[in-house]
Amino acid sequence: MIRRTPKRDYVPFYGPIAMIVFLVVWEVGLRIAEIPELYLPRPTVIAQNLYLLFTEGGILQDLGVTLYRIFGGFFLAAFVGIVLGILMGTSRKLYAICDIFIAVLYPIPKISLVPLLIIWFGSGDLFQIVLAALGCFFPVVINTILGVRQCDQGLILAARDLGASERQIKWKVVFPAAVPSIFSGLKLALGIAIIMVVAAEMLTAKYGLGARLQLSGQILETGQVFAILLLLAVLGGLLTKGQERIDRMIGRWRT
Amino acid sequence: MQLYEVLADQISHQWTSKNRPPTLAIDNVSCAFPAGKVTAIVGPSGCGKSTLLLILRGLIESTQGAIRFRYTNGSGAIVDGAPARMATVWQSFNLLPWRTVLDNVAFGLELASVSKEERYAKAHEAIKAVELGGFEGHFPSQLSGGMRQRVGLARGLVMSPDILLLDEPFGALDAQTRVYMQEQLAGLVETAGKTVILVTHSIEEAVFLSDHVIVMTARPGRVAATRDIPLPRPRAIEVQNDPRFSALFTEIYDVLRDEVVKSMMG
Ligand SMILES: Nc1ncnc2c1ncn2[C@@H]1O[C@H](COP(=O)(O)OP(=O)(O)O)[C@@H](O)[C@H]1O
Ligand SMILES: [Mg+2]
Repeated sequence: MIRRTPKRDYVPFYGPIAMIVFLVVWEVGLRIAEIPELYLPRPTVIAQNLYLLFTEGGILQDLGVTLYRIFGGFFLAAFVGIVLGILMGTSRKLYAICDIFIAVLYPIPKISLVPLLIIWFGSGDLFQIVLAALGCFFPVVINTILGVRQCDQGLILAARDLGASERQIKWKVVFPAAVPSIFSGLKLALGIAIIMVVAAEMLTAKYGLGARLQLSGQILETGQVFAILLLLAVLGGLLTKGQERIDRMIGRWRT
Repeated sequence: MQLYEVLADQISHQWTSKNRPPTLAIDNVSCAFPAGKVTAIVGPSGCGKSTLLLILRGLIESTQGAIRFRYTNGSGAIVDGAPARMATVWQSFNLLPWRTVLDNVAFGLELASVSKEERYAKAHEAIKAVELGGFEGHFPSQLSGGMRQRVGLARGLVMSPDILLLDEPFGALDAQTRVYMQEQLAGLVETAGKTVILVTHSIEEAVFLSDHVIVMTARPGRVAATRDIPLPRPRAIEVQNDPRFSALFTEIYDVLRDEVVKSMMG
């Protein structure tokens, strides 16, 4: 006879249920208390605003612009950061040269570079991408160096024994060995890219979610502000989830 | 195929690392590894056997001494010359954890730009030879220690090396598999004709597999004794019942025991 697993509370539903309760209390509470929408709109109003943003507000275009800037900066930084990180991790000379620059530039809050970057690149896409890339670059390069340093010496010897050139060792041993560490750097970087782009859009841009958010606030469309915040939350969540999935796929061997 | 002889000439090696006092691992070791023969190195743990293999393979430079390779050329003269291929089977396996068994075994051929088709064909063959057929798609983390060791063995064998260096290649195998793999290796060296250098801590293994045994002292490793193993080939495991086998075993054990005691005393 097959034994059934004993019945247990099905925990995964706890979160969604709590959220529904929260939304209902929010909705009903505001109706009863008669708080004006200007301060705090009800969830149904926010949903309505979100719907209108998509159907009439052209928010999809802004979403596209923002994603373009986020990923532009992210991939630019990922590419430069990983390559430089591997070279720095494997060459002590290059490490000595670059380390001092990193040590000086890393602590600068990247958002404080906005005025300078605008002078250099204007306030368009290029500026946004460079700003995001600057924010992303450091966690990527630092984590890559760390991963490279942790590479098991035995693996390098084994590869050399099998006839690997120094170049092959770099790209077929050291790089894959560093991938888990690189991925944790990329995870941090993506979060930073989102923050950078939205913040910069709020400061200067005409298009993009940040710009729309800023505009909605200025014209006191609180419902729209909430709708865009909701959109940003979903966006951030989806990007993180997607990244986790890729991470798991690539890290199959770690089981 | 050329058969290569390896000569170690007054090799000493001192390890230096940042936060440890320097260790003299091996001290003035001179020995010969005859061409086409199996030479076993036995010695107490920590006496520098793995270090010596690294030096023989040319992966680290000894602080003193030199390694030479010689072979007999077409006109029968013995000349100096390094072999085209050497392969090492590592005590700690050193498999690439993100590669499957198949891709680990094919790694050396991939580095040499052998076509995908050819290297996979050869890798499949080597995987079968170490009895791992069916595990091609597994990752090292999904295998037992003994299986990983056999992947390491296949990875070396697939390169058809002139000189094969084995660092305790059967240490992680269970008793039955070990005997089986030892017989396989005996058959391989009898037919393939290569120079094999085998590090082991098992005297039985050394006597069973080799033509020549070098016993090392406790650290710093020196050559304590050398002994030829004139047992007939081909050898099967039954050779262990041969009275000459136990005589050789006892003889080597007597030397080794003194060294092991010394190494335990510190
Ligand atoms: N990479 C290394 N760095 C520093 N010391 C080492 C290193 N490898 C081995 N040693 C030291 O050299 C000595 C001999 O080690 P090893 O050659 O591994 O011995 P064996 O293989 O005979 O057990 C040991 O004392 C060990 O600690
Ligand atoms: Mg060892």
